[in-house]
Amino acid sequence: MKQTFRTLIALCLPLLLCGQVQAQHSGPYVGALLGGNALVDAKSTDSRGDFALTFKPALMGSAVLGWDFEPGNSMGEGRVELEYSHRSNSLDRAKFSEGSFAGEGSMTADSLLFNFFGVVHNGSRWSPYAGVGIGVARVEASGLQVSGYSMAGGSSFVFAYQVGAGVDVALTNRLNLDLGYRYFGSSRPKFTEVAGSKFELDYSNHSAVLGLRVGF
Amino acid sequence: MRRTANRVSDTDKCMLTVLHAGWYPPEYNKRTKRINLQGVYMINLLWSVFFVMLLSGCGWNGTPTRSGTDFIPLTSIEITADYSTIARGTSAKLTVKGNHAGLITGDIINPDQVTWVTSQPGVADFKTSGIPNRVSGLTPGTTILTATVGSVKSTYTLAVSSATVTAVTVTPVAPSVPNGLTQQFAATGTFSDGTTQILTDDVTWASSLLGVATISDTYGSKGLAQTQTVSVTPTKISATFGIVSGTADMTVTPAALKSIAITPASPSILTLSAGKLTAVGTYTDNTTSDITSQVTWSSSDTSVATISGGTATVLKSGSTTIGASLGTVSQSTSLKATGGNLTGITITPATQTLVKKDAVATTGRISATGTFSNGSSRDITGAVTWTAADTSLATAAVASGTLAWVTAVAVTPKAVPTKVTAASGSLSATATVAVTAPLLQSIAFSTTALNPTIGTSAPIAVNATFDDGTTQDVTPFSTWTSNDLTKATVAAGGLGSERVTGVGAGTTTLSATYGGKTVLAPATITVTSRNLLSLTLSPGNVSIGNKALFPVTANYSDVTVDVTNEPTASWSIDTPNVAVLADSVNQPGQVVGVDTGTAMLTVTFGGKSQTAKITVTGP
Repeated sequence: MKQTFRTLIALCLPLLLCGQVQAQHSGPYVGALLGGNALVDAKSTDSRGDFALTFKPALMGSAVLGWDFEPGNSMGEGRVELEYSHRSNSLDRAKFSEGSFAGEGSMTADSLLFNFFGVVHNGSRWSPYAGVGIGVARVEASGLQVSGYSMAGGSSFVFAYQVGAGVDVALTNRLNLDLGYRYFGSSRPKFTEVAGSKFELDYSNHSAVLGLRVGF
Repeated sequence: MRRTANRVSDTDKCMLTVLHAGWYPPEYNKRTKRINLQGVYMINLLWSVFFVMLLSGCGWNGTPTRSGTDFIPLTSIEITADYSTIARGTSAKLTVKGNHAGLITGDIINPDQVTWVTSQPGVADFKTSGIPNRVSGLTPGTTILTATVGSVKSTYTLAVSSATVTAVTVTPVAPSVPNGLTQQFAATGTFSDGTTQILTDDVTWASSLLGVATISDTYGSKGLAQTQTVSVTPTKISATFGIVSGTADMTVTPAALKSIAITPASPSILTLSAGKLTAVGTYTDNTTSDITSQVTWSSSDTSVATISGGTATVLKSGSTTIGASLGTVSQSTSLKATGGNLTGITITPATQTLVKKDAVATTGRISATGTFSNGSSRDITGAVTWTAADTSLATAAVASGTLAWVTAVAVTPKAVPTKVTAASGSLSATATVAVTAPLLQSIAFSTTALNPTIGTSAPIAVNATFDDGTTQDVTPFSTWTSNDLTKATVAAGGLGSERVTGVGAGTTTLSATYGGKTVLAPATITVTSRNLLSLTLSPGNVSIGNKALFPVTANYSDVTVDVTNEPTASWSIDTPNVAVLADSVNQPGQVVGVDTGTAMLTVTFGGKSQTAKITVTGP
């Protein structure tokens, strides 16, 4: 986690060197985001009761293809985009009624979301934004283990959503730096335990991202 | 792609129309308010993000209920027993505890998952039907017991001795058990080798008086006695092992109080009013009884409310915990005092003149209205303390509910009326009462013709005229005479009024006397027979602490009559925590709001009922 923050800070340092306000871009753009993500402690449920899975923070990445709206238009300002994201977190601990045990394996979410972000252009190069997105995600549990013993695996397609906020920094006419926060969640994915029974868990995630968008 | 700032492409418009559909209030001017709207959207979105972060937090922090034993495999088991040596003919229960890779230890393995084998079936064997983990000693010797769970095994060495039982002791020896409860007995055997062993599951249990208590002799519940009826004669509980028995005397006593329930739960009561709470006890035999008068009532804050005999008197706004206890059993509930604090008192009428002349002593109705800090005002006649400055001249007292009277006792000095005070706490109000001594000249009815329907009534008053020209209502103190009681009767109608009730179809006359005078002209009462079809009672609103009238009308085949004040109309409210009747006798149809919510008001008259919803709003 500490390494992630250091990386983010290093990536943000060039912002201090940014020049004057640039003209706002409108039209299509592509971009990529990189950041750190933390899965919240997941309540997991099967026919025998509830247990908790905690995951380690990890890096995440996204690729976006979108459209910046015309600045100053009468309908509001912002952008819409299609975003593919990849998040993968290692299982840290599994908590049962007898106690907490070391975990292994990973939980991976690949999502495709349609996002809308409203942007406030306030005359400076810093433009705060906030928005929402909805879509689908494929969540995969890979080799989940408890103290070295197999626990569950499988994958599940689920409804996914996110809300986010941040600031856009106009580096040039066509180049924007994006520093933001994303809360990503989904309906409960279901997986298969070693004994064959199903369990489902809460999947939600906090991410801090740094991205670059190039307009055309 | 670069564009001028003021141009909006068709594509943009299309996209934004979809995205913003329904976001604008219809009356909004989209062009002129664009910037403001954008700011509002942004603030709303940022708040949404903030709340999502707040709500999502760090995830689930609950207590796991699921075991992880099926994920971490069982690596070893351990057999435990109460005895390593048992006497011949006795048995022992074995327990298997699991060890899951050293990570989870000590969990009890379900006996159904364990397979048991004895190396010497002639020495000890598993013979108890339905209890696979109970081993019985058959002949003296030693055997090795093996438990298998899946692929994991463990052994236990059990010895069977040749000792014989010499005595059986049953405990407890002489329990007194409240009716409705159970009592678990235990049997302990003393053996010829000096050892002792619990034999509860090996003895045969019996009760001498099955009508008093029964006792189980079934594995799983052996020695568990169940009371049947109260009896001063104890039943003898026996435990027999072979030819040796032990006994205990079990007396079944009257059922003991198990719990108390206070109703209504979490009551709301208006300030300067009283509410009735009930304590219902549940006993060990599951019977219930009203124990309101037996429990000790308490209030945690007596400045808010006091309670005695289940009647809570609320003094000021706030809350207090009401307790009810009897012996070691207690219960409590929170009482909420609503309606604001009293800020002022007004007496009506502020001045009045009464008459005291020979045997004639008139009275006048007097009432007090309180104003409260929540802006409400209500009749508090029955809640204040009435004091007459000079009781040798006039007295003041509450008759019932919200009805109070000032009564003339003696003539007040000329131009110096006496005073009557209504007080509550540090607040009070004063009214003046003058008592004069004019001569009663005559009395007369307020009306001389009434036309009630059978079963309904109509108000009538008697007014006295004195020689100084004053008149007074002397209705409640007049003597009434109906010429034909099969057609009409007279009865009190609330707030000191009198009502003539139609009994049978036809015409009769009514007379009245007061102070030696008879009404100048009798009243003619014409009673009509009608068929009551239905009642009409409309829903309505009332605010906390204030009063509202809910009139009820009777729909006859040919006429509609307001029967709100009929003495035979019965009023009730299902949720006293929300609304109460102001005074069902003196102020029928009047409802006072207690706390926000809804309640159902029901009125019954002439065999018909009608219900209406009352909505109580904030002050």
